[in-house]
Amino acid sequence: MTDEPDDRMLQLNAAIDGELDAMRALEFERALAADPLLDADYRRLLDLRRAIRRSAPLEAAPQALSDRIAALAAPRRSAAVFQTRRSWSSARPLALAASMAAIGFALGAGLTWLRTQSAAERVTQALVSDFAQAEIANQPFDVASSDRHTVKPWLAGRTTVSADIVDLASEGFPLAGGRIAVIDRMPAPTLVYRHNEHMVAVTELPPDAPGAEGGGAIETIDGYHVARWSGRHLAYVAVSDMDEKTLGEFVAAMREAQMPAEKTP
Amino acid sequence: MTGETGKRRFREIVLPHLDDAYTLAKWLSGDGADAEDIVQEAAVRALKALETTSVERPKPWFLAIVRNASITWMARNRSETVTCAGDAADLDALDPRLGEPAPDPEAALIALEDSERLRQAIAALSTPLREALVLRDINGLSYRDIAEATGAPVGTVMSRLARARGALTKMLKPEP
Repeated sequence: MTDEPDDRMLQLNAAIDGELDAMRALEFERALAADPLLDADYRRLLDLRRAIRRSAPLEAAPQALSDRIAALAAPRRSAAVFQTRRSWSSARPLALAASMAAIGFALGAGLTWLRTQSAAERVTQALVSDFAQAEIANQPFDVASSDRHTVKPWLAGRTTVSADIVDLASEGFPLAGGRIAVIDRMPAPTLVYRHNEHMVAVTELPPDAPGAEGGGAIETIDGYHVARWSGRHLAYVAVSDMDEKTLGEFVAAMREAQMPAEKTP
Repeated sequence: MTGETGKRRFREIVLPHLDDAYTLAKWLSGDGADAEDIVQEAAVRALKALETTSVERPKPWFLAIVRNASITWMARNRSETVTCAGDAADLDALDPRLGEPAPDPEAALIALEDSERLRQAIAALSTPLREALVLRDINGLSYRDIAEATGAPVGTVMSRLARARGALTKMLKPEP
């Protein structure tokens, strides 16, 4: 039952698909004229092709899906529309939100154009946008693992900054996975920790990167909370849909856990 | 503004092929709602990739991402544990239904007028065969594009197509 199709069958199929070059097509036409059996097979395959196209036509993507995807790449910041925080588990009923995205955009774009963003704001905004995109796709990480020994080498293979992964499970923030954020066209390792149904994404940046400065104070951008702080070798930006207080606890726990590593020269 | 280039490319390269993407994902996953998730995931991956690179042949490029997202999705939904590190396994390895019936040159009458039966027959093909057939007859890709989208050599694509159509012919033969 695993017989490979013979050359005759391959040639028939290639002919149906218009994949024969001119000389082979000519040979095939001659063979077709001389061989009624071949001709019958040929016509049957053509019928099958027609029937497939009739019975299984190209389907239009649902409008809600198209809207959602168009919103991902609408000019300027699409993240600006995610004013409310959503839980990570509600991926599908986003259609309405996405269609409203387009409208929100049209309204907000005029103002946004006028605003000159500093490099730091740009980086932060990009990370918030990244977080929102991951959330809307319900794919917060590229590698899903609670084991830092799995996540670290995965990230190391894709970035120039070496990810510094601390274990915060005992503080109530288990590691969920990792992904790559693209900041100014440079890949930056991002760790995703979980807290109940919320997520926090910590992106590690070179210490001199724009947007890296900050002493751990929490700001709110587009409905998400953002904290920035600097370690000895790296700078960190955390974006989260947790409330401000919980994010503050997370940052404190992470800085605490980083201490021993930071002290070694 | 970084990101605008990627978004512009995305609008030119990805948005025109959403119907193709959705149709392919639906045939691969067998479910419309799953297909939406898969296409959404593929779009996010594509946007990320287009930040740093452009592509010459958008359709096979994006359908390759959709196809890989489908594999990841199937792997994730077949095994309870979420492990998607590393490369996606080959479709052949995922699908137990290998070895379709060889094309039968003697097959005569087949039931083509019954659309539902034809759709069921396509759905019953093993994934590698169904994937090749859908990319060719529904998405309209050339052999070379199918090879690019599936990462299989052109010879393998040809063989899968011939086997797929042979199997359909066989399945659609009227009951004796």
